[in-house]
Amino acid sequence: MNPDTVTGAVWTVLFYVLGAAAILLALAVVNARRLLRAAIYLMGVLLMSAGLYVLLDAAFLAGVQVLVYVGGILVLIVFAVMLTRSADLLEDNPSLRRKVLGAVASIGFLVLTAAVFLTTPFKPLAEGTPPKDDALVIGRRLLDQGPGGYVLPFEIVSVLLLAAVIGGIVVARKTPPPEQPFTSGGDRAGEADLVLPKSQRPARRAKGNP
Amino acid sequence: MIDFLASHSPDIRHWLLLSAVLFSIGLYGLLTRRNAVAILMAVELMLNSAALNFVLFNRYLMPGMVDGQVMAIFVIAVAAAEVVVGMAIFVALFRYRATIDVNRMDTMKD
Repeated sequence: MNPDTVTGAVWTVLFYVLGAAAILLALAVVNARRLLRAAIYLMGVLLMSAGLYVLLDAAFLAGVQVLVYVGGILVLIVFAVMLTRSADLLEDNPSLRRKVLGAVASIGFLVLTAAVFLTTPFKPLAEGTPPKDDALVIGRRLLDQGPGGYVLPFEIVSVLLLAAVIGGIVVARKTPPPEQPFTSGGDRAGEADLVLPKSQRPARRAKGNP
Repeated sequence: MIDFLASHSPDIRHWLLLSAVLFSIGLYGLLTRRNAVAILMAVELMLNSAALNFVLFNRYLMPGMVDGQVMAIFVIAVAAAEVVVGMAIFVALFRYRATIDVNRMDTMKD
């Protein structure tokens, strides 16, 4: 039997298996009662997407997906779930009206988009075969200064990430510096008086128990 | 069996349908959830399906190029920045108000 035929059959099976798993896990993400479980299901969706990238001849992107999304973003989400833990917040139970409206809106969107792209003829814009060493090609493309190069967006993204890191530290820091009282709910005595009325202030912890 | 599977390999419409379904599920989560972290997870689902769209259009419309993959890398980087800032805001807000229910984040309306 032709090995290309076998490879094609395996990739067809992989597409349907990975796609079905991604859809089921995504449904679990939006329906899970407990947020920590939703985060784990989200990890599953992202891993399935990495597998789908491999099927689309984007192996480097699959590696980036696993490293950045699963290794970085998801850990951050899990930390946020744990830091904002409280008994009633883990259970997220939408009302029936909300569920019906959300389902109608999202299914309507799906039908509309599907109607558009099922009636559109997609013709290849340029012939070619996927490059074998895609990490090399992507890297050269990212740092290319000529026409069609991506060096400017690349640098802008690096500035954006730096700004996000500094902004995250400033917003989430515990004790603001003296001249900056409004950054967040710090734990200096009297700071909350500047911002919130008395009824909405958070309860103070006992002294000696930071 | 193997010939049947090999001759029914997914074309661009199957991929687009998969990505649209994932995006719609994310939209459903965005509209129904009340917990801010859960909403952010739904947004991550939508961003992920958008990145998948970039890669599949790259693969099927101009397979010799990598522009769609470069765009997907930018999408991932922007998603990382968004999650960092969002989570910092939620942690600060939770420390202050002891809630991350978006229905109760209404102080700016007054």
